Amino acid sequence: MKRLILATAAAVSALSAGAASADVVKVGLIASYTGAFATWGTQFQQATEAYQATHGNTVKGPDGKEHEIQFVYRDSASQGPDKAKQLAEELILREHVKFITGLELSPYAMALADISQQAKVPVVIENAATSSITRMSPYFVRVSQTVAQDVAPMGKWAFDHGIKKAYVIVSDYAPGYDAEAYFIKFFKAAGGEIVGSARTPQQETNFSAYMERVLQAKPDALYMFQPAGSPSVAFVRAYVERGLKAAGIKLLGGGETQQLFLPNFTDDVIGTVTSFHYTETNTNPANLELKAALKKKFGDKAEPDIASLAAWDGTMLIQQSVAALGSNAEGLKYIDFFKGKKWDSPRGPAMIDPVERDIIQNIYIRQVEKRDGKLVNIDIGKEEMVKDPWKIDNPPKSN
Amino acid sequence: MPAASDLPTSAARAPHWTSRLALLGHALPWVIAIVYYFTADYYLSFGTQVMIWILFAMSLDLALGYAGILTLGHAAFFGVGAYGAGLFAIYVSPDPLLGHLAAIGLCAVLGVVTGAMVLHTTGVTLLMLTLAIVSVISEYANQANDLTGGDNGLQGMKLAPIFGRFEFNLFGQTAYVYTLIVLFIWFLIAWRIVHSPFGRSLDGIRQNPRRMRAIGTPVWWRLLAIYTISGAMAGSAGALSAHSTSFVGLSVLNLLTSGIVTVVLILGGVRRIYGAFIGATIYFVVQDYTAKISPFFWEFVVGGMLIATVLFLEGGLMDIGNVVRRLLRRRHGEEGR
Amino acid sequence: MLSFALTVLLDGISYGMILFLISVGLTVTMGLMRVVNLAHGSFAMIGGYVAGYITQRGGNFYVAALAAALAAALLGALAEVTIYRPLYRKGELSQVLLTIGIVFVMTGTITEIFGAFPYPVVFPDYLTKPIDIGFREYPGYRLFLIAVGAVVAAALWFLVENSIYGARLRAAVDNARMARAVGMDVSVLFMGTFVVGSALAGFGGALGAGILSLEPSYALKYIVLFLVVVAVGGEGSFQGSFVAAMALGIIDTVGKYFAPQAAAYLLYAAVFLLLLWRPKGLLPPKSVA
Repeated sequence: MKRLILATAAAVSALSAGAASADVVKVGLIASYTGAFATWGTQFQQATEAYQATHGNTVKGPDGKEHEIQFVYRDSASQGPDKAKQLAEELILREHVKFITGLELSPYAMALADISQQAKVPVVIENAATSSITRMSPYFVRVSQTVAQDVAPMGKWAFDHGIKKAYVIVSDYAPGYDAEAYFIKFFKAAGGEIVGSARTPQQETNFSAYMERVLQAKPDALYMFQPAGSPSVAFVRAYVERGLKAAGIKLLGGGETQQLFLPNFTDDVIGTVTSFHYTETNTNPANLELKAALKKKFGDKAEPDIASLAAWDGTMLIQQSVAALGSNAEGLKYIDFFKGKKWDSPRGPAMIDPVERDIIQNIYIRQVEKRDGKLVNIDIGKEEMVKDPWKIDNPPKSN
Repeated sequence: MPAASDLPTSAARAPHWTSRLALLGHALPWVIAIVYYFTADYYLSFGTQVMIWILFAMSLDLALGYAGILTLGHAAFFGVGAYGAGLFAIYVSPDPLLGHLAAIGLCAVLGVVTGAMVLHTTGVTLLMLTLAIVSVISEYANQANDLTGGDNGLQGMKLAPIFGRFEFNLFGQTAYVYTLIVLFIWFLIAWRIVHSPFGRSLDGIRQNPRRMRAIGTPVWWRLLAIYTISGAMAGSAGALSAHSTSFVGLSVLNLLTSGIVTVVLILGGVRRIYGAFIGATIYFVVQDYTAKISPFFWEFVVGGMLIATVLFLEGGLMDIGNVVRRLLRRRHGEEGR
Repeated sequence: MLSFALTVLLDGISYGMILFLISVGLTVTMGLMRVVNLAHGSFAMIGGYVAGYITQRGGNFYVAALAAALAAALLGALAEVTIYRPLYRKGELSQVLLTIGIVFVMTGTITEIFGAFPYPVVFPDYLTKPIDIGFREYPGYRLFLIAVGAVVAAALWFLVENSIYGARLRAAVDNARMARAVGMDVSVLFMGTFVVGSALAGFGGALGAGILSLEPSYALKYIVLFLVVVAVGGEGSFQGSFVAAMALGIIDTVGKYFAPQAAAYLLYAAVFLLLLWRPKGLLPPKSVA
C-alpha cells in the first residue's frame, strides 16, 4: 500500500513538473458564486481578471522563461468546508495548481490546513478573517484582513469621541465573536461601559426586537457586526426605522457601509462611523488603477469592495512570486517570498508579517457622508500599520 | 399505484434474455464502482462522495419510498452520524470501525425516540414535525461551539488506519474501498428487507394504512421499525462522510442536505433501491460538470433536469429502463401487458 | 411596560401580516389542488424584484406593488397551464421534485439578471420614518404593513365567506369530486385561485421586502416559513393561515426579544408542540377536521 502511495505521489509531482515546463502556472481560486455568499466569487474573479487585463497574465521567471498565470475558478456554492476541501483536492490532484486562493469564509480556509501541508501547496487567503487561521499551516499567507484587526481601533476612538456607554450586537458566528471580544476589550480599556450585548442568528434580517432592547438600554452608541449582504443592510435599516438615530444613539461598525451597499440605505445612514481597512474613495494611485481597470473591463457600474481589493493584491503577489522564483519552486519558498513583503496597495501601505504570514495595514476610521448627491465613506482618522491584536494576545508557542 | 415494475422481474412470463439482462443490471453498479477505482485518475474522492449519497438516498427510499413516511428531516440522522463518528474519533478512540458502529447505534436510538414522537401523524404535518426536529438539532450544533466547532467545523479528527493497515490519506483509496464495502453491505440488507414479507407490508401501509390495520398489521410498530433502520443507515452514511474527509461541518445538518437527498432519490426513482444509485450519480455528475462551465449555469441545468424528469418520466430516471424495455418489446412483436 | 409589550405585539403582527399575505395563496392551492408547491416562494420573490426594479428607477411605490402582484399573477397563470396542470394527477413526490426544479431555475435566472447582492425596494420617505403613535414612536413601515394586511385579510374573508366564488372554493376544497359532479368548472376555479394566490404572494413579496430581504436565495430560504404557516394553520384553511401567521410572527418576535440565543429553538419547538397538539392544524377546513 505504501509503495503504491509513494509511486503515485512521485507520478503526481512528475506530472506537475511536466505541466509546469509547459509554462502555465495554474492557480486555483475557490469561492462562492451561488447561495448565500454568492457575491464573493464574482468580485474575486472580476478583480483578478481586471488585474491581468492591466498588468498582463505572463511573467518572466529568473531563468528568462515566460510563465503564464492561469486562474482556475471553482464554486464552493456557499456550502460547507467539506466542499472547499473536496474542490481543493481536485484542484491539486487533477489541475496541478501551484497555488490556491480565494476562500471567503474562515471554515473554508481551515479545512485546507491539512491538505496544504500534505501537498505542499501555498494558500493565499483573500478573505477568511479569523485570526488564528495563519497559525494552522506554514503554507498559509493572508493578504486581506482579520476581524480583530479591523475592529481594534474602534473602541478607543469611540470613547475618545464622547461615547461612554455602548451596546454591542454581533452576528452569531466566529467572526462575530471576534468583533465582540475586541471592541469590548479596547472600549473598556479606554474607560467605556458596556450596557448590553446580543448575538443574532447568522442570516437574520428581522432585527426589530433587538433594536427595542437597545432603545431600552439607552446607550450612547450601538456597535454592530453583521456579514455584509442582506443582514447588514437590514440591520442599518432597522436602526433607522426603530428611531435609534432619532434618539441620539450613534451607530458604529465595520464593513457594513462599504460603498457597494450604500445605495441600499436612505440618507439616515449618514453619520455612521466605521473602522475598516479599505475606504473606497481614497485617492491612492493603486486604488485609482484598480477602479479604472474594473470599470474598463466590466462597465461603469463595477465597484470594488474588499473582495476586489484582496484579489487584486493577491494576484499581484502571486505573479510577482513566480517572476522571482519561477514556476517550479517548493511551496515554502513561495511563502518565504511573501514574508516581509511591503507594497502600495489600493487600501494604502500594506505588509506581510514575516513571522505570522498575516497582513499588517492601516485601519481607517470613516464616516458616512453625502458628497455630490452620493453617499460615501470619508476618512476621519486612522491607525497606522495595525498588527492583528489576537496574535499579540496569543504569542506563538514555537515557530 | 403499484406498477408492475415495482415487483422483481417475474421470470414466469418474461423471456430468457430479460432475466440474464436483469442479472447484468444487478452487477453493473458494482462493476462500475470497481472499474472507477482503477481509472479515476485522482478523482476518487468524488466517487466516494457519490457513494455516500447513494447510501443516504437508499436509506430515505426505505422510509419515504417504501413506507411512505414523509420526512424532511433525514439530514438529522446523517448529521448526527457524522458528528457522532467525528466526536468519537476525537474523544473516545480513533478506530474508525468502532466509531462507525457507535454512530449507527446513536442514530438508531434517535430514530426510535423521534419516530415514537411523530409517526402517528401524516402528510404535511409529519413533514413539518421532522423539519422541526432537524432544525432544533442543527441549531444546537451551531451553538454548542465548544463541542462541534460551530461553523468552523469539527477540527482535529485523526483517524487510525482500518485494521491497523489501511490508512486514510490525500489520495483517498482507503476511503473509497471502505465506503464501497459499507454501501454493499447495506444494499444487501435493504434488498432483503424490501423483498421480505415485512417489506411487502410496508408497501401496503404506504398505500392504505387503514386497510392494513383492519387486517391486523401493527402499522405503527412497522413504521417505527423501518424508520429506525432507515435512520441507522443514514447515520452510517454520515459516519462515512466524516471518515472520508476527516472533517464534519454544519452543512451535514442543513435543511438543504435533506432537500438534496430527497431530490436525488425522487430523481432516480423511488422504490427501486437502484433509484438511489442512478439519482445520486446523475445529480452530482451533472452538477459537478456544469459548475465548471459556469456557476450559475448548473442551477439552470439541474433545475431543468428535474422538471423534465417529472414531465416525461413517470417514475424517475429509473424509468428510462422501462421506456427502453417497452420499445424493445414492441419491436419484438410481443403482446403488450 | 405596557408600551413595550404593545411594541413587541405590533412587531409580531406586522411580521405575521407578511407571512399571511404570502402563505395564504399556498394554503389554498395546497388544500384545493392538493399540489405541494415548493416554488410558491418564487412568486413572492419575483413580485419583490419587480417592485424593486420599478422603485429603484424612481417609480411610484404603489404602482410598483400593483405591478408586482400583476407580474406574479401572469407568471402564475402561465405556470398553472403549462407546468402545474400535469401535476395534479402525479403523486406528491413528483410535485416536490418539479417544484424544486422550478425554484432552482428561478434562483439561477434571478442571479443572472439581477446579480447576487441584496436587491432593495425603495419605499416612500414617509414609510421609512418613525411615526408618533401616542406613547412612543413606531416605524411607519410596520404600521403600513398591519393596515394593508388587515384590509386584504378582511377583503379575502369577505370573498371566501360571502361570495359565490368563495362558496365554490370552499366546496371544492372540501370535496372536489362532488363539486365537479354538481357541475362546477373546477379547472377554471383552480386556475383562478392559483392566479390570485400568486398575485397575493407577489404583493406580499414587494411589501415585505423590508423584513424578508430580496436576494436570489429568497425562494429556498423562506419556503420553510410559508410551509410552517400552512401546516400549523391547517391546509386549505384561509382563517387557519391567518391565525398561524399571527401566532408564528408573535412567537418569533417575542422569542428574539426575551431570549435571543434561544429564539431559533423556540420557534421550531413551538411549531413542534403545536403540530403534536393539533396535527390537522389550528383551524382546518371542515372536511378534514
